[in-house]
Amino acid sequence: MPRTPIERVAGVTLAVVAALVALFLIAPLLAILPLSVSDGQFLVYPIRGFSLRWFETFFASERWALAIRNSFAIGATAASIATVLGTLAAIGLARANFRGKKFVTAVLLSPLIVPIVIYAVGLYFFFARMGLTQTYTGIVLAHAALGSPFVVVTVGAALANFDHTLMRAASGLGASPLVAFRRVMLPIVLPGVLTGALFAFAASFDEVVTVIFLAAPQQRTIPREMFSGIRENISPVIAAASVVMIVTAVLLVATVEWLRRRSLRARQQAG
Amino acid sequence: MVDIVSFDKVSKSYDGRAYVVRDLDLSIAQGEFLTLLGPSGSGKTTTLMMLAGFEVPTSGEIYLDGKPLSRRPPHERDIGMVFQNYALFPHLSVAENLAFPLEVRHRPRAEIRQRVEAALEMVRLPQVGARKPAQLSGGQQQRVALARALVFEPRLVLMDEPLGALDKQLRDHMQYEIRALHDRLGVTVVYVTHDQSEALTMSNRIAVFAGGRVRQLAAPDVLYETPSDLFVATFVGESNVFAGTVAARDDTVARVALADGTAMAATAMDAGAAGAAAAVVVRPEKLLLGPLAETCENRFTGQVADVVYHGDHLRVRLAAFGRDDIIGRMPTGGPALPAIGASLAFGFDRAAARAYDPAHGAG
Amino acid sequence: MGGAELSAAASGAGAGGAVVPPAGPGRNLVRDHARAERRRRLQAIGLVAPLFLFLLFSFVGPIADMLRRSVYDMDLAGVWPRTAAAMHAWDGNGLPPDSAFAALGADIRASAEAGRVAVAAQRLNYPISGGRSLVMNMARRVEADDFKPPADWRAAFLDADPAWGSAETWSAIRRASGPVTDYFLLNALDLHKDAAGHISRAPDGIFLSILWRTFSISGVVTLFALLLGYPLAYVMTHSSGRVAAVLTLFVLLPFWTSLLVRTAAWIVLLQDQGIINKALMAIGLIDHPVRLMFNRVGVVIAMVHVLLPFMVLPLAAVMRGIRPETVRAARSLGAHPWTAFRRIYVPQTMPGVGAGVLLVFISAIGYYITPALVGGADDQMLSYFIAFYTNETVNWGLAAALAVVLLAATAVLAAIYARVVASRGGLVT
Ligand SMILES: Nc1ncnc2c1ncn2[C@@H]1O[C@H](COP(=O)(O)OP(=O)(O)O)[C@@H](O)[C@H]1O
Ligand SMILES: [Mg+2]
Repeated sequence: MPRTPIERVAGVTLAVVAALVALFLIAPLLAILPLSVSDGQFLVYPIRGFSLRWFETFFASERWALAIRNSFAIGATAASIATVLGTLAAIGLARANFRGKKFVTAVLLSPLIVPIVIYAVGLYFFFARMGLTQTYTGIVLAHAALGSPFVVVTVGAALANFDHTLMRAASGLGASPLVAFRRVMLPIVLPGVLTGALFAFAASFDEVVTVIFLAAPQQRTIPREMFSGIRENISPVIAAASVVMIVTAVLLVATVEWLRRRSLRARQQAG
Repeated sequence: MVDIVSFDKVSKSYDGRAYVVRDLDLSIAQGEFLTLLGPSGSGKTTTLMMLAGFEVPTSGEIYLDGKPLSRRPPHERDIGMVFQNYALFPHLSVAENLAFPLEVRHRPRAEIRQRVEAALEMVRLPQVGARKPAQLSGGQQQRVALARALVFEPRLVLMDEPLGALDKQLRDHMQYEIRALHDRLGVTVVYVTHDQSEALTMSNRIAVFAGGRVRQLAAPDVLYETPSDLFVATFVGESNVFAGTVAARDDTVARVALADGTAMAATAMDAGAAGAAAAVVVRPEKLLLGPLAETCENRFTGQVADVVYHGDHLRVRLAAFGRDDIIGRMPTGGPALPAIGASLAFGFDRAAARAYDPAHGAG
Repeated sequence: MGGAELSAAASGAGAGGAVVPPAGPGRNLVRDHARAERRRRLQAIGLVAPLFLFLLFSFVGPIADMLRRSVYDMDLAGVWPRTAAAMHAWDGNGLPPDSAFAALGADIRASAEAGRVAVAAQRLNYPISGGRSLVMNMARRVEADDFKPPADWRAAFLDADPAWGSAETWSAIRRASGPVTDYFLLNALDLHKDAAGHISRAPDGIFLSILWRTFSISGVVTLFALLLGYPLAYVMTHSSGRVAAVLTLFVLLPFWTSLLVRTAAWIVLLQDQGIINKALMAIGLIDHPVRLMFNRVGVVIAMVHVLLPFMVLPLAAVMRGIRPETVRAARSLGAHPWTAFRRIYVPQTMPGVGAGVLLVFISAIGYYITPALVGGADDQMLSYFIAFYTNETVNWGLAAALAVVLLAATAVLAAIYARVVASRGGLVT
């Protein structure tokens, strides 16, 4: 449209500000990447020579290798529990109204907002009595609890767009409730379920506070090693770990975006 | 008549390749009700948006009161606009919506209150001032949008398919109300629709759009009686189209031969010389049936395929010339309903038939 | 209800007819409907129950256990049961009867022998300055080999330390005798209750200032997130496909990247030898490194970075829902671009602003990792002190009381958030 000079100035300013903010968001991630191949001892620029030694340390040392294995195993287990329980709960919440539903929903979503330190300290006391401190079971339970609301929310959103007459149509065509669920509802809400699962995995994969309070000294995870690494002797191995974490994040973003597009397309075709 | 707006060779392309509006010359007279009619995608909205100032012509110029418009931003054009989905401000009450154009013009508070009241009165919604738009029915929202576009007494009001979201009954009613407001206020209206009957009933003049060009610009009766090309003939009103070849033509008359050898005489429009393809167009009400056909210059016989009772007339579908979609009308209350399968004479006069170049048929 | 009408009609027909049993279709409809409803409700509850019970155990339980410690206080009563009983019997005026001195003497002796006297001493050290040594000195006396239980315990105590004759001391013991105390909660709010039960501001309290610090850091972070997030969300929503996609990626990638990676990255940028300082020195703007880390500046920068996506995403979701025609309509009605933006566009984004601001603020007040790694001693927020009193000084009652304060603030904000979000009909994700 024909623009006044003010509009033109405002438009350019806005574009510049947005670009700077975007740079602010992405620059730190880009800044840490090159240090992973530095030959130096410290996490500082300029880079002294090229070397893969920090990646070697990261992947080959006993310490980090254990942390990597633990992080993926804990994340996968916790996300599985959260996904199964969260999906069932989201379907239940969408299915009917019952007394106390508001309160139940608030409880199901509360892990999203309760400050993590309060939860971690509580776990430290409560799980001690159950003999669950310093166990992987304890960590997995905690992370499953933290991940479950993401599944409830994403599956809930998928169900909010789900046309429930489809289920009636399926049973009208002779499908039992279980078959109707498996063949009609699940395929349509599956992107929501998977997105929730990825959120739950990421929540566990990134979680350090409950681990600090619950885990035994030898029960390492990547974030925990990074936390103590940053505190005690910060070295480029942190950068190497960061590279791996960023690559994981890229894969997660790409998958979630792909799932989002898929369900959007499916909905458009249905509509 | 004084022209208030004129388009001078205006073209618009969004992507630099395809033209959405091409070489548009169009003049809008003070006080008239001009409708842009055309199929979806023909460039009507784009034309309106260029006039309102939300799009810039790729080439050409638009003049308002003789002054070029293209450097003037929308808020300085003094053009009221009614959007298809009304674009009422959801966070403001109805009265605040109406007050908005007056407030941004820094009118005194007392005047604003009085004019908002008058505008609500005008669209017969005096009680809803305090409500939010979401609390109104579709028809009420539409009237508020209308009142908002008129309340600041703009030179020109643009309406882009303003009744598209309403059901049929409400639409008929609003057509009447908009027409009545136009007559009462004398404001110039540019109205966009793809509904030909809406265009015919409301307008002083209609510009038929197709493929980014104006195919014909005329008063409704002229448009209906003498469409200038096959597209306009088929887009506006119902028509029987007989495809054939020009056998002979002079300045006024074309003789056209159909594929099965049948010959008919028609008024020559843009049909080509002998040997060229041609399409003869006849309105159903001009296709006379039974005894009435006897005096017609073009006379044929067909079989009755179908008869539908429409109250004031019968709609008869005939089979002839190797097809079965020829439509004619017959007044009711005549002798007897034609029997299905019976032979029936039909015909039309040369003046009722027009021969066109079929190349100008598509949008 | 159609069902109710049907059943009334059916029973009416039954009454009017002869001995027709009231088995009209209406009855069945009503009953079937109610039965189907009940079945659906039971199914719903059955589906929700597993996660609900799981969270009761692994989430609500731990938090309740934590919060309980803010009022449930058995440190002293657990170690000194006789004293606690005597304190409950005493009316709290002046000094307790001799029997109370005797009970305490016996308890100190027994607990010293069991090696648990330090627990009670520690507990008394919170309300009484020097409380620990007061108890430990007495314990040392009664534990001595040549010690004989005296007939007059009161004299023995006063002989050991005149502080045992102070009403304040005994009032503190009485209030620490459990099972419930308001001491820690008052303490967490810098309040103090004297022997007479009057509540006053504690002169050396630090927690209100920590609370204020927590809120002010969070407020500044939220403000910056809004100032930076609004233009980004605007450009993201209103630009063409490719630009929008790139900007969205720039928001989502940090969002999905580990908090620790982002914190480490900020250390690379902010430290004395970091990129920012080197760059500023290279262009000659400064000649010594500026302190950007272990202070408020670093905390705010890193927290804004971490929380910015939580502002941008709800804002963008709301902006996407705004009809561009409303702004065009404002323009055609005569509004200057700035007026149209201010009066038509911005008000329509307010639900997004509300959601984003609350989301960022709620997250910020609970922050722990980022301030712990890039902040200095004066930049630590409530969460840090909860961890500190749990791990370092093992004052669990106080840690729990601080947790109550933090959780209460969070809950109030979350309730407001739920209302803001519910008013626009859905969770912003
Ligand atoms: N902002 C735009 N960008 C690109 N193409 C557009 C835009 N607006 C309209 N078009 C295209 O221009 C053509 C004409 O559109 P429009 O003027 O809206 O037609 P109408 O209103 O007659 O339906 C259509 O093919 C449409 O896809
Ligand atoms: Mg249009």
